[in-house]
Amino acid sequence: MTSFDSKTISHIHHELHSLLPSEPALRTKALESLLAEKKLVDPAAVDAWVEMYRDEIGPKRGAAVVARAWVDPAFKARLLADGTQAIGEFGFAGHATGHLQAVENTADVHNLVVCTLCSCYPFSILGLSPSWYKSNEYRARAVRDPRGVLEEFGVRLDKGVQVRVWDSTSERRYLVVPERPKGVEDWDEAALAKLVTRNSMIGAERDLSAAQAKA
Amino acid sequence: MDGVHDLGGRQGFGPIVDKDDERPFHSKWEMRAFGITLAARGASSWTIDWFRYCRELTGPVDYLTRPYFDQWITTLAAQMIDQGYLTLDEIRSGAPTFAPKPGRPPQTADVARASAKDPRSFAVSVNAPPRFAPGQLVRCRLDGGSGHTRLPGYARGRAGAIHAHHGGHALPDASARGEERGEHLYTVSFAASDLWPEAKGSADRVFVDLWESYLEKA
Repeated sequence: MTSFDSKTISHIHHELHSLLPSEPALRTKALESLLAEKKLVDPAAVDAWVEMYRDEIGPKRGAAVVARAWVDPAFKARLLADGTQAIGEFGFAGHATGHLQAVENTADVHNLVVCTLCSCYPFSILGLSPSWYKSNEYRARAVRDPRGVLEEFGVRLDKGVQVRVWDSTSERRYLVVPERPKGVEDWDEAALAKLVTRNSMIGAERDLSAAQAKA
Repeated sequence: MDGVHDLGGRQGFGPIVDKDDERPFHSKWEMRAFGITLAARGASSWTIDWFRYCRELTGPVDYLTRPYFDQWITTLAAQMIDQGYLTLDEIRSGAPTFAPKPGRPPQTADVARASAKDPRSFAVSVNAPPRFAPGQLVRCRLDGGSGHTRLPGYARGRAGAIHAHHGGHALPDASARGEERGEHLYTVSFAASDLWPEAKGSADRVFVDLWESYLEKA
């Protein structure tokens, strides 16, 4: 039976600190062996999760959604109204996107997403979160010094641009829809999707026109 | 709880590093720790909120210094020991001593794949009408409570405006105690200048999703 008791869990953590190998690879190996031998985890299921997030599920999905929003105003309206429904049109709804909220950058607004309390992220559409997103530094600073954080990412905002920081405290998750860069009016959806970076969909990048040279 | 996990607004942290790192995984052990934690989370009393609470209860030094997926798998182990599926003696010896009977069989690869495609809803119907409406001014409770909560420390006691109402959602504070309870969920919009002294004169805003019992009329 689960205790739901904080003192019990604190005590177990305290014991585990010294009982488990300190080196993360050895620690993981020790736990995997025990859990598999005790049939508490099926190695085939572990493989499935790893394969999905290594090979299939990643920011290319979000980029496809953003590119569609750029070329199809009706889709964009649906995306902003109900993100989960809209990404469902691509078959991308899933892990941690049961309540997806898309937020749109404009000439006057820049959105930035963080999870100060843990590391909430819209997995099924952006894949695994980058290590910087999970870092203590980002979690501490993004709500208090978003402009300073953005400058470190190379984003310099005019004073007239409002920053909106979204702290992912509930099961609702956020996807930033960056602005479509100038000069790509005749590009098709697939080419546009190549301009959309992972960081831009978290809000840590703003101007995607620089990516045109690379595309 | 007033733990070190509640990082929003803490000062003295340095620059953000590895900003252009695109890799989902950085090593084999990260892959295994990630996969194991997701594959094993089906065990009987697991909820996302109980998992978060158990991670918050990692010792503060370990919380701030051990690698991310290392924290996941260590938290999973702590939960399994608490549930009685695993013992500290087995961890010590590395040898299993009994066959546990989990509430549910371990997740198969097919279940894992189906789970990744399931946009699980946390909406819960609530009979009471919402106390607040969009546009209304509210103030966050000053006391965060000693258990798990999703009211960040930096918002406590602060006033903001209801930006949106999302209907009833599972209340994390109750879920982390093993109770299922729905409560109205709102997005509250705070002026950055009402949260941080250095944001005086700024038009920037911070949006936080907060449950009804975290809020009172301002």
